[in-house]
Amino acid sequence: MLIDGAKITLELTVLAQVMGVLLGIIAALCKTSKVLPLRILAELYIWLFRGTPVLVQLLIWWAMLPQTPEFSVALIALGLNEGAYMSEIVRAGLEAVDKGQTEAAQSLGMRYRQIMSRIVLPQAMRVIIPPTGNEFISMLKTTSLASVISMDELLQRSQNIYECTGCDGANAILPLLAVAALYYLALSTVFTFIQGYIESQLGDRRAEELGWFRAVIRKGRLLFIS
Amino acid sequence: MSIPHGAGAPEPNGSQPMVQARNVHKYFGRHHVLRGIDLTVPKGHVHVIIGPSGSGKSTILRCLNHLEKIQQGEIAIDGEPMGYRMVHGKPREDTGKNIARMRSEVGMVFQRFNLFPHMTALSNIIEAPIRVRGMSKSAAIDRAMKLLDHVGMREKAHAFPSQLSGGQQQRIAIARALAMEPKVMLFDEATSALDPELVGDVLNVMRQLALDGMTMVVVTHEMGFAKDVGDHVVFMDEGVIVEEGPPSRIFEQPAHERTRAFLRSVLRTQ
Repeated sequence: MLIDGAKITLELTVLAQVMGVLLGIIAALCKTSKVLPLRILAELYIWLFRGTPVLVQLLIWWAMLPQTPEFSVALIALGLNEGAYMSEIVRAGLEAVDKGQTEAAQSLGMRYRQIMSRIVLPQAMRVIIPPTGNEFISMLKTTSLASVISMDELLQRSQNIYECTGCDGANAILPLLAVAALYYLALSTVFTFIQGYIESQLGDRRAEELGWFRAVIRKGRLLFIS
Repeated sequence: MSIPHGAGAPEPNGSQPMVQARNVHKYFGRHHVLRGIDLTVPKGHVHVIIGPSGSGKSTILRCLNHLEKIQQGEIAIDGEPMGYRMVHGKPREDTGKNIARMRSEVGMVFQRFNLFPHMTALSNIIEAPIRVRGMSKSAAIDRAMKLLDHVGMREKAHAFPSQLSGGQQQRIAIARALAMEPKVMLFDEATSALDPELVGDVLNVMRQLALDGMTMVVVTHEMGFAKDVGDHVVFMDEGVIVEEGPPSRIFEQPAHERTRAFLRSVLRTQ
């Protein structure tokens, strides 16, 4: 029962984080764009979604979309919120890339889109990945807020169990919450190890040369086989 | 050993110059860094710009491919205005597309090489021909290998920049710029960041390029190179061209005291 809750929690975490990363990249590019309206839009988005509590945003979306299933509402709220925070992480990554890289690409006749996708973003990833790992672990726990809109995730299920009528609820509160907390802890710990592994691969020069992503896949495959 | 070259001063001939800058002014904030620069580089000529740091020599070079914008004046590459278009008699910033197109005809080599660290030497060289010119990967690789041969780096084709010395990286950077078959090559203190023993290899590549007829504008402190390979030397100081002329005259009979003072200070260290 609770394990299914954990599965849904994980699903929401991954999807909301992915959404956050994509929105963050778009917002960061807009914020550093030459086009003024894009810059203003990005600043507005970041200001709004970083300036209000996630819980409040969640409840607002839930109130605005009564017909939508809770999972989708939570996804929208958490994804949009995450995007605002990710945009700053992405922007820091973009600024960490040496300006000479862009100048070299420009002098070869490359255009903005090519320069960003082929030259700048790949190098920015080195700076973006570590804090993103933290965001992911944080997101895992933030999903528990979705219980307030009765979304059927881990915390909600725990509460359902000890709140059910006819059950010996009061005695079950602490043990159930403890179990829920352990689930969160277990998942966080696994991801912390994964993050540590990815970061060590980023530090490895060989990995950078192979392309960090390919290196992780390669090592992962080796672990799997052995 | 002096390599025979043309008369030195750019003679006005029938065809238009490859690079033409007229009355270029540039400000960095309130700092008037270029005060009316004129440059005329005929096709196939090697112009060397020398001068103390802060003189604006790198800046004018970077204006030639619009990495820096100018506030006044005109710059044309092979007759085409660089970075702006005349609209109703007024200069208007050109489109990104046109600027990129013109830049692809102007090769630039940077002091810090600026190779793409996440790509091999070969990948660095084929990137622009594929993405910008739409060349096929096999054709691009063909050309890249020939260029690597030309700069003597063939066996390092699959090395990453971090595995190469500065001189090797710079030669790859030159090959990368040449892969776009530019009309003119700009060198921004290409050897200044190199250990002395690596400078020679890069200068040899540049020398060969000049012999092959490439139009080059070179900002450098390497006076030997300027004397051997340059057709025309321009001495800049505090944003103006103090004097210019054939290397034989500039180095042996400089007309201005500022030129003499600069040459004294440089040649003291060489």
